[in-house]
Parts: sequence; C-alpha cells; structure tokens
Amino acid sequence: MSNAIEVRELLYQVKTFEIRDFTLNVPSGSIYGFLGPNGCGKTTTIQLLLGLRRARGGSISVLGHAVPRGVTRVLARTGYVPEHPHLYPNLTVDESLQYHAAFYPGWDRDRAKGMLSRFDLRGSQAVGRLSKGETGKLLVLVALAQMPELLVLDEPTDGLDPVVRRDVMTALLDYVSEHKATVFVSSHLVHELERACDWIGVMDRGRMVVEMPMQSFKRGIKRLRFTQPPALTQETPFEVLSRSAAESTGLGEEWLVSGWEPAMAQALESGSGALREIVDMDLEESFVALLSRSRASLS
Amino acid sequence: MFEHLDSRSPVPLYDQIASRIRVAVAAGDLEPGTALPSVRQLAGKLRVNPATVVQAYRELEDEGFVEMRQGAGTFVCGVEPPKRAAERARQARRLVRGMLAEAARLGLSGAELKKAAAKELEGI
Repeated sequence: MSNAIEVRELLYQVKTFEIRDFTLNVPSGSIYGFLGPNGCGKTTTIQLLLGLRRARGGSISVLGHAVPRGVTRVLARTGYVPEHPHLYPNLTVDESLQYHAAFYPGWDRDRAKGMLSRFDLRGSQAVGRLSKGETGKLLVLVALAQMPELLVLDEPTDGLDPVVRRDVMTALLDYVSEHKATVFVSSHLVHELERACDWIGVMDRGRMVVEMPMQSFKRGIKRLRFTQPPALTQETPFEVLSRSAAESTGLGEEWLVSGWEPAMAQALESGSGALREIVDMDLEESFVALLSRSRASLS
Repeated sequence: MFEHLDSRSPVPLYDQIASRIRVAVAAGDLEPGTALPSVRQLAGKLRVNPATVVQAYRELEDEGFVEMRQGAGTFVCGVEPPKRAAERARQARRLVRGMLAEAARLGLSGAELKKAAAKELEGI
C-alpha cells in the first residue's frame, strides 16, 4: 500500500524549538492518530505538511506531491481543520459555506446541507456568535463538504463537549466509510482516538517516539507482575520500559514492557522468574509509559 | 447488542463486534434473513474504524453466520441448531475462563469456586 503522507529526516528550527530526524508514514486509507502532549510540535508538523511553514531540511510528500513545491495540488484535495478557526466572524453560516464552496470544484452542496441539519446548525446564524461546539462542527463540515481524499485535523474536538465530540467523530467515520479517504488526526485526547484509528504515531519534544499499527501498539505494551522477577539478559525478547516494586503488597516487582507477545509468558515461566499476572493497558496508559521512557532516555 | 465494547480489552474490537452478533444469532435474537446495519452505519454508531466493521462481517461470513450480498448488504444466515448449541457452549466457556482468571488473581481455589457456583445456581 502506498503512503498518503511520507516525511523523511525532517528538520525545522525556530528559536529554542526544533523538529529533528522526523519520519512519518501515513498509509493511504488509514485513520492515523497523531498523539503527543501539548507543545510537542504536532501543530507545527501539520503546518509543515501543508506548506504553511518551511522546513530547513528533509523531504515531505503528500498525496504523491512534494511539499512545498506541489502544495497547491495537495491543498485542492485536502480538507484541513486547523487549530484555530479560519472563519470570518461577520459572515453567516450560509455565507461561509458559499465562500468556501467557491474555492473547491468538488464541493458537495447537498452534503453540506445535510450536515448542517445533522449538526443542528442554523444557516442564518452569524459565525461570530456560534458557540465553541458549533464552530467546531462548522469547521469539520467545511472540511468534509470539499470531498477531500485526505483529511488533516488538528485537535478537531479539543475543548468540545462529549455530545459534540461524538457527533464530529460519527460524521468523520461516516465520510471515511463512504469515500475511503485517509485521515490524519492529531490529539492529546487519547481516548477518543482509541477506537477509530488503525495507525498511531507518538510525538514528543519535536521527535517521533514511535509509529506503528494500533493493534501492535495496544497488544505489545503490558504490565507484568512478578512474585519473583527473572534475571534480565541480552536475550530478553521484549523491552523493559520501567521496573518498580509492586504497589500493593511490596512483594515482587512490576515491569512495564513493550514488544510483548503472548508466547513469551511461557518462556518467562520456565525460566527463573515467577510471573503472577499480565495486565492489559489501555492506549492512554501505554502512551504515558512510552513518553516517560523516551524522556528518560533523552535526559 | 453492541453496548460496552471495551477498547481496552486485548480482544480486538472486530472480534468483540463479531462475538456480539454471533451470540445474538445463536440465541435467536437475530432471525435468518435479518439485515445487519451497513458498515457505514455501524462504524458511525460505534465510532470505530469502518475497516473494523468489515473485518467483523468477513469473519462472520467465513463462519457461515452471515452472508454479504454485493450492493445489498449483510444478512443473517439460517444457522443449524447444533451449530447454535456449539456457539452457546463456546460463550459459556468464555465466561467461565474469564471467571477463572479473576479467581486466580484473587487466589481462590477450585473448590471454593465450585461451592460458590453451586450455591448461586441453586435458585435458578
């Protein structure tokens, strides 16, 4: 499968912040969750992908076009929901839609109209008077009505209430099922991406910490509880992210590991150790564990 | 039918979705010929990746629980009683395994469990 977005050895610097050795692969047709704490460089990366900032080095390719050279062709096929709304507050909702429609030959009026009522938005309402939730929905509506092949969403549901978040995710998945579009969505709200994404990339401090299919990410990170921890050798088939004394009893140890596979349990049992329990982690716990690991190795 | 899908569980979401449908078919809640929701509808409703729903439906089709008709949708197949019984037995084993794992964590013995199970089952 080809990649909708490919980034190699990206270098970007401004004052004290830098993105370095940054690699990204977003397979066509995937829903790619781009995770990272606030301020880690997600928005800057997205702006680089769409030619809104210039990199110092490396290469960026989006939908088969080099960025920034071919960026107009990229933008014609890309729906973008930026971090801050790019709407004119004095226009009404209807006028905003007409304004955007003029830029996109593929604009789907019927879809826009349908989503307007689904999202419970009034066409005559001034954009400047919309609530935060309504503005969020309008931005997603605008991005979807252009019938894009690629959707780039920068924290699309940040600050929205759960009902609106749900509406937005549903509209998004509905569009993707119908049109096989690729979605690149950034968020620090890990939970909301957990169900929908099939790929995941974790960024921290200007670097890509890890990029892999969601299934491997979720399956591979586990908490192991030992009554008797085994000896760590060069051959230990998984990576130990952290180890600590067991929380509750103080007896034995707890290890946080990545690259875990079910078959490894037997190998551990037959060795010197006594494995008491393998605890599944959700995406958020795995995410936090990975970040603290990467930070420890940097400092 | 799809309440409480657990994205934290090591059981992949597609498997959880397939499992719910299998149970409903085995229990007779879904009659043969019933149309399942479209991939698009179900993905939107559950807020999961459409590919996850497709994977669940494919698995069910391989097992003979549903039939995917090009352009028309996905329909529940008539499932023979022995197969339904086998599926019910499989679900029962799954429940017991979950319980045993929990019991092991709490350090409960087999005898203690049997006693508790017998007592709970008395009233049924």
